[in-house]
Amino acid sequence: MEKYILLVEDNPDDEILAIRALRKNHIVNRVEVARDGAEALDFLFRRGTHAGRPGNLPEVVLLDLKLPKLHGLEVLQRIRAEEATRLLPVVVLTTSSEDRDLVESYRLGANSYIRKPVDFDQFMEAVRQLGMYWLILNHSANGVGAHA
Amino acid sequence: MAEAPTENAKRPAVSRPAWWSSPGFVAWALWGSIGAVVMGLAAYSGAKAFVARRADDNIRHVLLTHRGLHHYIQRVMHPAYFAAREKGMVSPDWYSPMVLSSSYIVRNMHGFYNQERVKDGHVEIYYKMATDNPRNPVNKATPLESGLLRKFNEQRGLREYRETVEIEGKPFLLHAMPFLETNGACLRCHGRREDAPPGLQALYPGEGGFNERAGVIRAVEIIRAPLSPERFTVAILTASAMGGLLGLAGLLAFNVRLRRLVEARTSSLREEVLHRAQVEREVLQLNATLEGRVRERTAQLQAAIQELDAFAYSVSHDLRAPLRAMDGFSSALEEDWAPALGEEGKEFLRRIRKSCSRMGDLIEDLLRLSRFTRQEMDPKDLDLSALAREVAEELRSGSPERRVVFEIEEGLAARGDESLVRALLGNLLGNAFKFTAKVPEARIEVGKTSWQGRATFFVRDNGVGFDMAYKDKLFGAFQRLHSAEDFPGTGIGLATVLRIVQRHGGTVDAASVPGRGATFYFTL
Ligand code: HEC
Repeated sequence: MEKYILLVEDNPDDEILAIRALRKNHIVNRVEVARDGAEALDFLFRRGTHAGRPGNLPEVVLLDLKLPKLHGLEVLQRIRAEEATRLLPVVVLTTSSEDRDLVESYRLGANSYIRKPVDFDQFMEAVRQLGMYWLILNHSANGVGAHA
Repeated sequence: MAEAPTENAKRPAVSRPAWWSSPGFVAWALWGSIGAVVMGLAAYSGAKAFVARRADDNIRHVLLTHRGLHHYIQRVMHPAYFAAREKGMVSPDWYSPMVLSSSYIVRNMHGFYNQERVKDGHVEIYYKMATDNPRNPVNKATPLESGLLRKFNEQRGLREYRETVEIEGKPFLLHAMPFLETNGACLRCHGRREDAPPGLQALYPGEGGFNERAGVIRAVEIIRAPLSPERFTVAILTASAMGGLLGLAGLLAFNVRLRRLVEARTSSLREEVLHRAQVEREVLQLNATLEGRVRERTAQLQAAIQELDAFAYSVSHDLRAPLRAMDGFSSALEEDWAPALGEEGKEFLRRIRKSCSRMGDLIEDLLRLSRFTRQEMDPKDLDLSALAREVAEELRSGSPERRVVFEIEEGLAARGDESLVRALLGNLLGNAFKFTAKVPEARIEVGKTSWQGRATFFVRDNGVGFDMAYKDKLFGAFQRLHSAEDFPGTGIGLATVLRIVQRHGGTVDAASVPGRGATFYFTL
């Protein structure tokens, strides 16, 4: 099945830049975008507008924290609460420099945390490492998720 | 708790001592009894003196009357008798004591005298001319009178003698005086019997009153006045009763006064208790209001902090998102449209990106400053020397190319929040590190000293220093005294230091000589 990424991001600029960063780092996988927390959950659990969506779970979820409707941390909590998505890799992606967000993210089971710096070059570098890590090296978590 | 004052107002907790045990009463009773005793004694002695004077008056009265009579008989009647006898008007044989003997006349006159006294409501007075050798047996001296007669014969100068005697249980004032000394003339009737006038001899058989000797006092005149003991008792009783009454009246007056005093005090006390209860209620009410106000303010403050929190959070996200977009798209332009932009266009993009990054730094610092303000404190005993060493080590490893001597005094101790104090030292040492960058032999000291009379910590460097004229601006946020070209930074470090020191209730100050270094003093 086709490997793809779910990007949960409400800011269209950030969306474009994130996808650009991925592409620039030769991550050519399809990127699905959810514009708020509720939509992200609908997508993952194939509900609402995404009911009957074909296909598997994404390889990784890039989750912004400050989201309309449902906060990113709440989304993370729901993902970890469901058996189907309990092991789904989630990378928290946020502008927030608040320590408590970082602590709370890890507490709720985020696999990684990337701060979105103002400097795009730094962001590019972070995304590059992330993409390499999750799409090329990390097979096992993905595999377990796929067969579950 | 709020019920307590009302309770007090109803039943004032005043301990009231028994009125009779009050010091005032005891003193009064003591003085009262002493007064009564003194009064009794005075009344007694007064009564005694009065009675004695009455008796004395009576005696003097008897004396004067009877003396006069004696003189009359002896100086008038006797010469008249003898003159009549010489003229042959009286027979030489005739003798009558009723006419011629003063002792006889006075004794019998005394009977009439007493009758008159009694008729006038006075007591009877005893009178006697007592002798051991009486012519008339009624004049025979009692043993007491006989003793007195002897006394006068022995003490010839003694004119009178006074004594209080008790006869048949009754007190009397006894007055004794010697009668005339017997002389030759007396012996015509008191010498040998055969020499006395024959008429006298016939009237007085026996030897009584004869054979007397000249120069002897043959009789003592005794006058006895009763000391009226009943008057005495009455006087004493009256005085005592009056004293007692007076004492009682005093006691009553005292009691009334005391009761009034107690009542007055009690009522004033009650008023005071009520007043205090009122005040206490007011204080409680005020406290409640104050507590409420404090709660309200605290809630407002907490709301403000929460708001600040939310604000900071949104600043960190929302303010940075557009920056990131600007920087991101500038980068995209740079990469994908470079040929079309030309060198000047690329330079402009670089400037846009530099500004983005600077604004990102400013936002970051602003958030950090606000974090130091909001962060909860956890005060502990800290080893400032160890913290300073750690910070110094970080600085050194951050710029391994620099040669900086750190001199950190041992045993610097303070109480504070570790992360905040670490940030404080990080800023001060970081500043010192930064501003000594262009000094060949950089030196940074951390220690303890006395600054303006107070024990303070200090961080001293030998860097560029600053102009003291701008000292006031030193601790303001985003204030810079050096160009960003020379020394990079946002100007938030010392504002952070001030904020942290203030949160610890301390102070911070700085001194410098431009070109020779700066010293920062702080207390926690
Ligand atoms: C003319 C005679 C006469 C002469 C003088 C005379 N007396 Fe007497 N005297 C008498 C008689 C009589 C009596 C007794 C009277 C009576 O019945 O109490 C008496 C009584 C007394 C008594 C009373 C005691 C008793 O013996 O009963 C005294 C004291 C006394 N004479 C003292 C004197 C003295 C002292 C003189 C001298 C200054 C004196 N007389 C001179 C006649 C005399």
